[in-house]
Amino acid sequence: MHKSMLWLGLLFLSSSAAQESDATQLVRNAMDHWRGLTSHSNMTMIIHRPDWERTMTMESWSKGDKQSLVRVIEPRKDAGNGTLLDDNNMWTYTPKINRIIKVPSSMMSQSWMGSDFSNKDISKSTDIIDQYDHELTATEEKDGRLHYTITSIPHEDAAVVWGREVLVVRDDYVLMEQQFWDQDGILVKTLKTLEVEEMGGRSVAKVMRMSKTDTPEEWTQMTANSIEFDVELANNVFTLSNLRNPRQ
Amino acid sequence: MTLDLRMAWRNLWRHKRRTWLTATAMIFSNVLLIFMISLQLGSYDMMINNTLQAFSGHLQVQHDGYNHNPKLRTSIPSVLALAEQVRQALPGAGVTARAAAFALASSELRSVGIQVIGVQPDHEPRVSTLPGLVQEGRFLQDPDAAEIVIGGVLARNLKVTTGDELTLLGSGRDGSFAAGVVTVVGIFNSSSVDMDRSLAEIPLGYFQDTFAMEGHGNSIAISTDNLEQIPAASGRVNNIIAGQDALVLLDWTALHPGLQQAIKADFSSAWFMYGVLIILVAFSVLNTQLMSVLERTREFGVITALGIKPSRLASLVMLETALMAAIGLAIGVLLGALVALYFNAAGFSYPGMDEMAVRFNLPASIYPSVSVISLLLGPAVVFLFCLLASIYPALRLFRLRPVEAMRAV
Repeated sequence: MHKSMLWLGLLFLSSSAAQESDATQLVRNAMDHWRGLTSHSNMTMIIHRPDWERTMTMESWSKGDKQSLVRVIEPRKDAGNGTLLDDNNMWTYTPKINRIIKVPSSMMSQSWMGSDFSNKDISKSTDIIDQYDHELTATEEKDGRLHYTITSIPHEDAAVVWGREVLVVRDDYVLMEQQFWDQDGILVKTLKTLEVEEMGGRSVAKVMRMSKTDTPEEWTQMTANSIEFDVELANNVFTLSNLRNPRQ
Repeated sequence: MTLDLRMAWRNLWRHKRRTWLTATAMIFSNVLLIFMISLQLGSYDMMINNTLQAFSGHLQVQHDGYNHNPKLRTSIPSVLALAEQVRQALPGAGVTARAAAFALASSELRSVGIQVIGVQPDHEPRVSTLPGLVQEGRFLQDPDAAEIVIGGVLARNLKVTTGDELTLLGSGRDGSFAAGVVTVVGIFNSSSVDMDRSLAEIPLGYFQDTFAMEGHGNSIAISTDNLEQIPAASGRVNNIIAGQDALVLLDWTALHPGLQQAIKADFSSAWFMYGVLIILVAFSVLNTQLMSVLERTREFGVITALGIKPSRLASLVMLETALMAAIGLAIGVLLGALVALYFNAAGFSYPGMDEMAVRFNLPASIYPSVSVISLLLGPAVVFLFCLLASIYPALRLFRLRPVEAMRAV
């Protein structure tokens, strides 16, 4: 009797541990899948407002979790404006005044390039892996593929602004949806994948749209025009001098 | 009636000293109330004017919705031309066009997010006291120069002083990148930490250029000489903007909703104190009138025996009180008005007030407001409460029994 209870308990413990690590692994894989070891892409960003719309084309490079560089190509007026991220530090360069400015931490919640993404969204997207606990809360089949819903709650001492994030990951590790909930349990904004396509040798989210819950008619859409993974990147790509004077 | 009046008047002066003592209490409280209320109303006017003169002005023309949710795109087209039109329509008033954006200001060492206001260097000093508070360097002069005036706390945080360069980084009206390099020409200290920490002014022409405004601005601030001119000014400005549906004219109660609430709260808490004063006076009247009724028990008994109705006696007592209160009212208002008028001309200040005023760039004394309300509100309430106080002594007369009363000592 006692023995069987113990066994039952052990079984239960191990299964929940396995489930948790599964969820963490899913998130990890989704992030790796999206990023690759290195990547080089060309994206179009549309910032939509009820009375106006703005389109920008950008080129971006990334390496691992910590380093990325984004540079505006179009419109011409803004070409050359860039953002460099290196280990949670953020710099921005503006050719108009030929200055590199370090974005202070107090500005991290401000909008990035006037979009619905905040500086924090851009810079800390891998925080989700090490600052949160993950739990698989639902699995459903859609269009012949499994979609895993993962609820991620930040560690008690994590320096993050969200109270909870909910991720939907497809079985080929494409991130289909990311919901940002505040600490009062209110859904603030949602990043949705609208289109998935085979690019650079894997399925990737081609079109993603970020919109705030209380202003659904305002959104920012990112479209990947081309993307390559695991490309050879020179050592000096993620440096301030390259931010100022493009060399690649 | 004239007989009653004459009797009441004579009754009053049967005890000269007692009547004068009670009347003096009324006079004193009336003078005090007039002084306090006119000072209080005067200080509210000063408070409103000073708050509005600091930055916002008495009235503002804005695009509808801007006040609630200020955005760079919620703007007024051809703002300079419209401001000029308003200026012509309001000769005595200060009128200035503005634009406002959020920007990242960086020095060599630090970066801080601030509110950047584009202002008209010639007209801004007529609306806002901020230009007068520049303690280091000077205010802006050229409408298109790449210059900036910042608050003292911001200067400290950025570790800059006059002559240093700052870079501004933000989003333009069309969403494009807005960036500029400006020279710090002046540093102001407004004693409002919020303003000193996060506000900076640059010339409007330069602002429009940098933030791709294409002639747009976000507000036109209007400062009148005093609060009484607001309705007339509003009428004229509304005529000018009548053709443009998107534009609205807001007065200070909409621009500073908290200010009016603070004034209402302060006024009602002051009335608690006035209430105590008025009730004390009312009780002294009650005491006097009760005494004068009780000591005349025998006399009243005789008169009732002769056939006079108690109601007539009661109205006689009320009339006596009313006459006494009228004396208190007349002399009180006269003296109170003299005091209020004197301070209205000379200004009222207390030790230490001028130091404070200099720091906040304000006038050094309060000028009590002299108006029908400030002069009559307090005394009228005192008069009313004195009449109420005489009801009890008057009612006692209805219980008078002539035979017993005539035998009373």
